[in-house]
Amino acid sequence: MQGTPITTKASFPTTSTAAAARAKQTGDDIWRNRTDKINAELFALTYGSLVATLVKDYEDYAEVNTQLDKMGYNIGVRLIEEFLAKSSLPKCGTFVETADVISKIGFKMFLGITPTITNWSADTKEFSIIIDENPLSEFVELPDDALLPPPASTGGSAATGLWYSNILCGVLRGALEMVLLQVDVFFVSDVLRHDDATEIRVRLVRILDEDVPASDE
Amino acid sequence: MSRDSSSVGGTAAATAPTAPHILDRNLAKTRTSETSLSAFAYVFAEMIQYSQKRVSGVEDLEKRSVGSRLLSPFLANFGHRVGLRELELTLWREKNPKRETRVLQMLIFINSVIWKSLFGKPADSLQKSTDNEDEYMLTDNDPVILKYISLPKELGSFNAGAFMAGIVEAVLDGCHFVSSSVNYLGVDTDKKKKASRVTAHSTASDTAPNSMTLLIKFDKSVLQRERTFDGK
Amino acid sequence: MLHSLYIINKAGGLIYLKNYTDGIATLSSNEYLVLAGTFHSIHVITSKLSPVPGSSGIEVLEADLFKMFCIQTPTGTKFLLVTDPLQSNVDAIMRKIYETYADYVMKNPFYTPEMPIRADLFDLNLNKIVKQINS
Repeated sequence: MQGTPITTKASFPTTSTAAAARAKQTGDDIWRNRTDKINAELFALTYGSLVATLVKDYEDYAEVNTQLDKMGYNIGVRLIEEFLAKSSLPKCGTFVETADVISKIGFKMFLGITPTITNWSADTKEFSIIIDENPLSEFVELPDDALLPPPASTGGSAATGLWYSNILCGVLRGALEMVLLQVDVFFVSDVLRHDDATEIRVRLVRILDEDVPASDE
Repeated sequence: MSRDSSSVGGTAAATAPTAPHILDRNLAKTRTSETSLSAFAYVFAEMIQYSQKRVSGVEDLEKRSVGSRLLSPFLANFGHRVGLRELELTLWREKNPKRETRVLQMLIFINSVIWKSLFGKPADSLQKSTDNEDEYMLTDNDPVILKYISLPKELGSFNAGAFMAGIVEAVLDGCHFVSSSVNYLGVDTDKKKKASRVTAHSTASDTAPNSMTLLIKFDKSVLQRERTFDGK
Repeated sequence: MLHSLYIINKAGGLIYLKNYTDGIATLSSNEYLVLAGTFHSIHVITSKLSPVPGSSGIEVLEADLFKMFCIQTPTGTKFLLVTDPLQSNVDAIMRKIYETYADYVMKNPFYTPEMPIRADLFDLNLNKIVKQINS
């Protein structure tokens, strides 16, 4: 995993205040008035049941991470339609705007939370999503063997332990691909693993060509 | 109930975790909190697709078609995990928690308390079968978690309410109504003989296209115990 | 009055078709596929014909006795609605149809994206929308 030097107090790119306020209002309005709700515990327990079953079936955390990411991708390519249908958003002009909309409308609409977008790379092709309250991981405590810290020497790809909420990475990847943004998405840290924060990194790989249909997974 | 967080995981001792330890978590916090039905629906859809994939793998291995027969117990197993935890949470929150021992009380507990806490409303009806004395039926005319699911005909009698059947089975199980945990491939023959079983069936009509009924069949020993209680 | 709804996937394949009024001549399923594919191509051509870069393709087609509306979602799916010429509020109707699709097609675990849509609850909920308008 490559670190991007982050200077504190750097002014991170932001969307115009008007656009940001509009996004927030849209997200809040959809959440309050146009979203069917369900008990958050049933959701958390159900997701937990899915992860536990995968852990039991695959007996390998790296493989579980992969499976969760795949399931998320599958969700993302479907969920994008609801996102677009309910938000009626015009095409995002910049990746910075996309990030803002992901947090204020996407996360809000589906999970009722508005994570922080931060740690932009200088070229504004990478940002982080910091999740304070993760509705997926209520009641969760990971077993010790799932906590393996990412070995710095291997670039974090080998034994990474379990990224419990890895489904979120797939969702973002799938949803963005449908609007022609090819991205890499991965967990950097998770409070479940005693990290200070729950952070997802999103990196824009390229903007896909409209005329060429995206390849299937 | 607090626990020294530095003792967890060993390596975490150096950093002070910002998140409170799981045991310090306020359990009342999420009792009434909500998330979107959509988020649930997407995860549930993946669960169903995963079950389908696993079951078709078994079909291939056995070189014979087992149809949708395996799908229900597989999905029920996901519900079972949820049900056990939901029961714990519910009992923890009850003012006077007690374990129900009588069939009727038990069913009323499921219908009103469990159903309400999971789905925000009690089920629509609870009936005793007129044909078999060990069977009861719990009907929900509009089960929220099935809202978006259209079942394909080729899956026969499969109903995604099997997930709820698993939840109910787990609750019965947790309350010692001799419902052995259902192995999700449905091949747990040892325990099969002694179990209260719950199955999901569509009771759809034009006005209630998603209506679903759980058929709860109690084990013989439960009915025997019932008779002992009644002094018969 | 709504006459017909077509849904065309991003590759130009017809994945859904329903006629809502009587007397519409039905074609063979092959003819419908050709129709959808041809429309898909026309849509691309019309966007290329535009002097302004980034224009959408054809959005409305007007005839004496009917109108045809097309929206293409940012994901490339097209919804075609054939109405009588006096039908108002088509934007709102389209939006409702799109939301119904997002709910009852995309959240159905038994649906594979891009494939023909067979979902009872989608039919049912579309019928509700159409009934409100046509009755």
